[in-house]
Amino acid sequence: MRIELTVNGVAREADDVWEGESLLYALRERLGLPGSKNACEQGECGSCTVYLDGAPVCACLVAAGQAQGREVTTVEGLAGDGLDPVQQAFVEKGAVQCGFCTPGFLMSTKDLLDRDPAPSDPEIREALAGNLCRCTGYEKILDAVRTAAANR
Amino acid sequence: MTMRTDAPLKTSGAARYGLDVTPPGTVYGYVVTSTIAHGEITAMDVAAVRAAPGVLAVYTPFDPLPLRTPMSPLLGETWVPLQDTEVTYYGQPVGFVVAETFEQARDAALLVEVTYDRRPARTSLHAGLADALDAPPSLHGEPPTLQVLADGVESIEDALAASAVRVDATYETATQNHAAMEPHSAVAVWEDGRLTLYSGTQGSDLQAAQLAQALDVEPARVRALNPFVGGAFGGKGHAGVSAFLGAAAARDLGRPVKAALTREQVFTATATRPATVQRLRIGADADGRLTALAHDSWSSTTATPSFVEPTSHGTSREWYTTPNLAITQKMVPLHVPPTTFMRAPGEAPGSFALESAMDELAVALGMDPVELRLRNSSIAPPGRDLQWSSKHLDECFTLGAQRFGWAQRHRRRVDRDWLVGYGTATAMFPALRFPCAVRITLRPDDTAEVATSGADPGTGLRTVLSLFGAEALAIPPERVEAALGDSTLPPGGMSGGSTATASVGSAIAVGAPAVIDALVAVATGPGGLFEGREVAYADGRVFAEGDSATFGEVLRAAGRDEVTAIGTSAPGEEMTKHSFSSFGAQFCEVRVHRWTREVRMSRMLGVFDAGRIVHEQAARSQIMGGMIWGVSAALHEGLEIEESGRPANGDFASYLIPVNADIPTVDVEFVRYPDTLHNPVGARGLGEISVVGVAAAIANAVYDATGIRVRRIPIVLEDLLE
Ligand code: FES
Ligand code: FES
Repeated sequence: MRIELTVNGVAREADDVWEGESLLYALRERLGLPGSKNACEQGECGSCTVYLDGAPVCACLVAAGQAQGREVTTVEGLAGDGLDPVQQAFVEKGAVQCGFCTPGFLMSTKDLLDRDPAPSDPEIREALAGNLCRCTGYEKILDAVRTAAANR
Repeated sequence: MTMRTDAPLKTSGAARYGLDVTPPGTVYGYVVTSTIAHGEITAMDVAAVRAAPGVLAVYTPFDPLPLRTPMSPLLGETWVPLQDTEVTYYGQPVGFVVAETFEQARDAALLVEVTYDRRPARTSLHAGLADALDAPPSLHGEPPTLQVLADGVESIEDALAASAVRVDATYETATQNHAAMEPHSAVAVWEDGRLTLYSGTQGSDLQAAQLAQALDVEPARVRALNPFVGGAFGGKGHAGVSAFLGAAAARDLGRPVKAALTREQVFTATATRPATVQRLRIGADADGRLTALAHDSWSSTTATPSFVEPTSHGTSREWYTTPNLAITQKMVPLHVPPTTFMRAPGEAPGSFALESAMDELAVALGMDPVELRLRNSSIAPPGRDLQWSSKHLDECFTLGAQRFGWAQRHRRRVDRDWLVGYGTATAMFPALRFPCAVRITLRPDDTAEVATSGADPGTGLRTVLSLFGAEALAIPPERVEAALGDSTLPPGGMSGGSTATASVGSAIAVGAPAVIDALVAVATGPGGLFEGREVAYADGRVFAEGDSATFGEVLRAAGRDEVTAIGTSAPGEEMTKHSFSSFGAQFCEVRVHRWTREVRMSRMLGVFDAGRIVHEQAARSQIMGGMIWGVSAALHEGLEIEESGRPANGDFASYLIPVNADIPTVDVEFVRYPDTLHNPVGARGLGEISVVGVAAAIANAVYDATGIRVRRIPIVLEDLLE
């Protein structure tokens, strides 16, 4: 089937999409946007987090067809030019090691701060509990979220 | 402080990991895995697979891709898939389907019909203890069984029997998977008989060498690239099945092949940390001085024995002063997924046993566990002459105890419904480095490049290269570009064993003076800016009397595109003079819920003596990550293998690793003593020491809180029911 959707503000289409294909696959393999990562394909790690009509979803659990006619934002579209304050804070605080979890954390963090500009530490921990990071031990990520909240 | 140079690319989604490239014409491979743990494949019916939409090829042991077993000095043999019909573990790769899209390949792979001649599978470590085999010699080449006995002492049993206070306990640790967030994957492209392989690995040159051997092509015809690696932790040392099958299929089909393991497949088709059983017997005098230490270890390994978790050699062999020491290391071959090194191999599970036993000894003696450790601190491994080059473990403990409030540990036992306990443990990890070559290039635009084939699997090596380059050339780090993760660069070896910082630092310390010499030769040579004059180099400039120029100006004046030099280094004479290790003191506070028995780690501090700290932020982050690995080992993760050999929890829904909400405040401190006896930059590596001891510190804190001694990790609720 053919899907037509808006990705990072640009109208895109893809042909020969199989019904069972995930949005994550379509983004990575058909639309040239490999920023979102596949680390589990079962909704457990959050590495594939994108926004679907503004709401964060695990792109590995959303069928590509479900995105028909809708708006998708990926890590590549998180900022206009340069880096979003959330990205900037992750850079500054060194909240990045291997970086594989990072796109998902950024999407979840920005969503959190859009909903709650000044979250408490427990709220941050809870909001990011759906994102796994095997490298950092989370402290720098927490630092980055606090910094991003302060800088926005 | 310089920021991590890779962070902007990683946060913008622009960093390209192995699987992120899609060359034109790419097709997709899907690995088929076994559904039994032991037996022989007698037939594979793939007719329906071949007929499925988009399928280009099906490879099986009956229709294999030819692959030879690679052998490397560092890694030994690497297993290559599909070369025979033997199945020795559940989830073993037994087929490879290539199709136009990933979903077509996966869909078609479900149609493979495999017929097995099943044989009984040995999957229980416990059942195998009785007829365990001796493990191969240790890393130091020591035999699996060894004793150091004081003069006149006949046996370790005698020494134990003569001890005033004794502990005898057996501990168990679970099978674990590295669970790096990036699943093992590869994209393979052939052009004119040359292979380019994009695949996350711990060393591109090692990867290229393994692929060249496996595919029987000249090494120069294989280029492995891994500029970004989504975590490794020992699990990406050997080239993986995606790389072997992807590369061989791409050659066969004449199309680029992309192949990735699913998360479930990562749990069986890569490798795991073995499970262990360890018996500790410790004897001490009434003052807490060790008189005898016996550490007997059993590790699971593969049916044809391969990697064994060296828990005895990794800990009791070296950690404490004792006149009498006896260690054994055995292995139990099982039909379980391959075993390999994983973050602090030996030390991580070994320290759970030794440091729990030390805590039991402290309890038996009625002594402060910190004091017990200080009292038995070694100046050299027992029975060896070579003293530690630079050991400040005492300072780690005293500083840590003060900072953590260790003295308060008897005060607040209960906080509402939570029982509070404190625990501590020693951490040690050997200081190692590998042979390494780094190329340093000075360029006419006054920038430099520091390049090596080594990998940055998230450790910060890219940033460290820039920092060391800047320091050695005396220019700002912003002007030093790092290049890595490309097998065509000078061989940087493997990012493993916490070696990379010391290895590249040592090579840069050799290469920088050489490139400066080359620059001076250009400056003073025929047509040079300072032809025939005396010059000196400082701060990125060449100084002649009354005159100076930047290195860029010197190169431009001479019409040169660059000057370059390669620095190489390897461990050498220092190894005959000292023993080398990093040290640390772990402290933690846990809360055990009075009614539900839930355990929460509520506070943790690690103080480390790891030589020079090169990049504070990256160092803290890596150490913290490692400490959380320890928490995970103690309270969360363990791969459970059913009797059939099938992993019961081999996916991210059921293999638990901590999330943000599991991790409260973690504090890290360093005592900073550069160890220049070990290498010229004085850094000893941080990747592994941080995980060591944590699980014991937590179990010790659980005992402190509840009076229940749990000798098996991960600790689960049932362990704490009264
Ligand atoms: S890849 Fe989607 S949640 Fe893990
Ligand atoms: S930085 Fe590696 S998984 Fe988070």
